[in-house]
Amino acid sequence: MGGFRDRTAVAGVGYTRFSKDSGVSTLTLACEAVLAALDDAGLTADDVDGIATHRVGDSAAPALVGPALGIHEPSWYLDQFGGGSVSHSVVGQAALAVAAGVAETVVCYRAINARSEFRMGGTGRGLPVSPEVQYQAPYGYFAPPQQYAMFARAHMSRYGTRPEHFGALAVVQRANAAKNPRALMRTPITLDDYLASRWIAEPFRLLDCCLETDGACALVVTSAERAADLRRPPVLISAAAWGGGDSFLSGGRADTTVTSAAELAPRLYRQAGIGPADVDVAEIYDCFTYSVIVQLEDYGFCAKGEGGPYVASGAVAPGGELPVNTHGGFLSEGYVHGVNHIAEAVSQLRGDAGERQVAGAEVALSTAQPGYILPATSALILRKG
Amino acid sequence: MRPVADRDSAEWWRRTAAGEFVLQRCDSCATPRFPTRAYCHRCRTREWHWEPVAPAGRVESWIVSHQPFLAGVSEPYTVVMVRLDEAPECVMYGNWRGAEPPVAGLPVRACFRKVDEELSLIDWRPLG
Repeated sequence: MGGFRDRTAVAGVGYTRFSKDSGVSTLTLACEAVLAALDDAGLTADDVDGIATHRVGDSAAPALVGPALGIHEPSWYLDQFGGGSVSHSVVGQAALAVAAGVAETVVCYRAINARSEFRMGGTGRGLPVSPEVQYQAPYGYFAPPQQYAMFARAHMSRYGTRPEHFGALAVVQRANAAKNPRALMRTPITLDDYLASRWIAEPFRLLDCCLETDGACALVVTSAERAADLRRPPVLISAAAWGGGDSFLSGGRADTTVTSAAELAPRLYRQAGIGPADVDVAEIYDCFTYSVIVQLEDYGFCAKGEGGPYVASGAVAPGGELPVNTHGGFLSEGYVHGVNHIAEAVSQLRGDAGERQVAGAEVALSTAQPGYILPATSALILRKG
Repeated sequence: MRPVADRDSAEWWRRTAAGEFVLQRCDSCATPRFPTRAYCHRCRTREWHWEPVAPAGRVESWIVSHQPFLAGVSEPYTVVMVRLDEAPECVMYGNWRGAEPPVAGLPVRACFRKVDEELSLIDWRPLG
């Protein structure tokens, strides 16, 4: 069951600036992030033979990015349709391609103008093409904050999860962002600031919701052996899992407080040969505060229903038993659809996260949207090389 | 926002417009299903029939939407997710027509909201 454990590595990470208006195309953002990641690894575009992204029709395709960077004959590419839920599967699939010898050096990127051009929250974007939408949109229910608010409320009703639990997470992540020069929101907030922020969709306030960001982030995936000879300390891909799980929309899932991550997590840990207690730092998909709380449960860091109190106990803060979203996450660093979580995990394992470094971090978990909207999710376990 | 029916769901919308509260029921294993689909997700057969069920359920969850996601709608509105009494595996959404806010587990009853001859939507109100 080891699969491709530790056979591949992330050898470079690259970012563009994060902003509310990049002023450039997603193609330009993608090129900039890819070149930065290659430079970080000590490679050039001439070394690239694989290109991968995920997108929802909102960004430059690998088939555009390759030629734009003079990569004329990639031996492997992936243009994965999907949102945050598939974000980590892109790196997993790149690792598979490298492990199988189909490609040697793959760049994975996500480039979005998620504020200035294509707002995830709705404006400027058509409804998703999914058969479920017809039963929801006529009631004014279609935007991700509404959907997640619905599940958050179910969790509150069932387990007594409180606004203060959501708020505690928002406060911790903002404090982390204050130590991150890349972060868009660096002014510390208090629980009172959280509670005073305006309603978006009850039970969610503004400070429960991620930012909408223009920017790009890229990663270089290559073999562990090759990564060891490159410029930066290699970070091994110990496990990459992606998959489905049932959808409560088709009758297969009865419990609205459990996500697909609960089904994926055992497979992920088995592949890495570790358990949740071995994870030193976790970058957990935080489209909303609640998505972190439910994943802390579903990835086994606390019991079902205990995610809120676990966060409020300080466990996820710096110095706690599981520092979470050390970069500030989508709530405060910026929203690059999952890839900036992986990049932060890499940084923590290299030990170059500066002021926000988790001391002695050797194993990191990074996760995708946990499969509430469609029943798919993905995650990575990374290890210091 | 008008629903965009697909080839699996068009008949369900026609029946709803006619005031019927129906689900599909699998002929082979009796699993109820909603939203409408050609195949039973449990036994993977495709023989089924429409079956009227009680237009009743319990509140699974709800939101009060404030952000003006919908053009031209600025007042907050409540959307409920309802688990059906006679098909607990199935949930339906709708707007809330109660005077008091919903609470989890509250028994509710469907009410049809006629939009025009071709379309009715389903809202929910407290039972009794």
